Amino acid sequence: MLATRVFSLVGKRAISTSVCVRAHESVVKSEDFSLPAYMDRRDHPLPEVAHVKHLSASQKALKEKEKASWSSLSMDEKVESLCFLLHKCGFGEKWLNVAEEGAADLCACKWLSSLPPVYRIKFKESFAEMNRGSNEWKTVVGGAMFFIGFTALVIMWQKHYVYGPLPQSFDKEWVAKQTKRMLDMKVNPIQGLASKWDYEKNEWKK
Amino acid sequence: MAHAAQVGLQDATSPIMEELITFHDHALMIIFLISFLVLYALFLTLTTKLTNTNISDAQEMETVWTILPAIILVLIALPSLRILYMTDEVNDPSLTIKSIGHQWYWTYEYTDYGGLIFNSYMLPPLFLEPGDLRLLDVDNRVVLPIEAPIRMMITSQDVLHSWAVPTLGLKTDAIPGRLNQTTFTATRPGVYYGQCSEICGANHSFMPIVLELIPLKIFEMGPVFTL
Repeated sequence: MLATRVFSLVGKRAISTSVCVRAHESVVKSEDFSLPAYMDRRDHPLPEVAHVKHLSASQKALKEKEKASWSSLSMDEKVESLCFLLHKCGFGEKWLNVAEEGAADLCACKWLSSLPPVYRIKFKESFAEMNRGSNEWKTVVGGAMFFIGFTALVIMWQKHYVYGPLPQSFDKEWVAKQTKRMLDMKVNPIQGLASKWDYEKNEWKK
Repeated sequence: MAHAAQVGLQDATSPIMEELITFHDHALMIIFLISFLVLYALFLTLTTKLTNTNISDAQEMETVWTILPAIILVLIALPSLRILYMTDEVNDPSLTIKSIGHQWYWTYEYTDYGGLIFNSYMLPPLFLEPGDLRLLDVDNRVVLPIEAPIRMMITSQDVLHSWAVPTLGLKTDAIPGRLNQTTFTATRPGVYYGQCSEICGANHSFMPIVLELIPLKIFEMGPVFTL
């Protein structure tokens, strides 16, 4: 029980999402994974079951009214009636101009920006809500940079306390004599080291 | 020899190595093209808004992505086989040198015109002069003439070693009880380095190979190395 509460704090992808989803459910409980389940998925627009299984009294009344002819509904009730909305706002069909921020759904209905109760009976989240981004990337990038920084500290400690001195062949004079010798030997004269040296002027090519 | 932090191949000192560099460029270009294509497809897959899960039966696409890789493989195989057969061409070597691997040094035998046998040990760090190449320079180099086909007979006296000189495109295993042969022709005079290329014990990294290629006229003058 406590574990489920903890998991509800975690972002969408970090740990098994089924555990996180179960922590949020207050209305539908999927006791058995063999029963049809509700899910908010972009590629599964119409789930097998409604979000709310047990309707309250006011929700039941609304459902009854929806069964009658839609012309008897007031404008507000039309907005509330999901069947009417789904009929009018077919996929890709626009009812009004593009609405306020956050309402860029399948149907760009201005009315859907504050979703009515009937919608919430059938669906838990709108498409805009389920597709929303999160701030998880900031945590990930910040965490990665933190640990890279920590690794740098570890490497600095190693260089100071563990590693011995570099061999003499890394001294500046040695490297200079070595490079001169490699140029005299004409090492890689076609595209490599000696090809970058100007033998007439005795300097590196510009 | 390679300079510090060198990633690419060394410049060629033999015609075979020149061919290998060209082939490497060709194969690497194909690899880059395929990798880029796959990365692009992956990127598209991860950022698409499309959600159709019922795609099936794409016969034309499947045919293309079967035939096209087959063609690409043929385009890689043909130059590869060409170079492979080129390395086995009969070329009538002027000189035969034997190279015997030991733990942890090489022995070279020049027995065509007399009997010269010597060992080649890496110079220990304390014996190095400023400017010497640490881990690469040896006490006795293998002196050879340029522009003459040379046959190397390579074997080992104890465990597996491998005689390698990258700039000549050479790497041949030294196997105890077996004689391996490789031939090469050097086009430029100079000093060329290689390292043992088969794990052979504690000092595997400390038994390098150094060839000193000199003009034939000087080589013919007789002993050019001191023992």
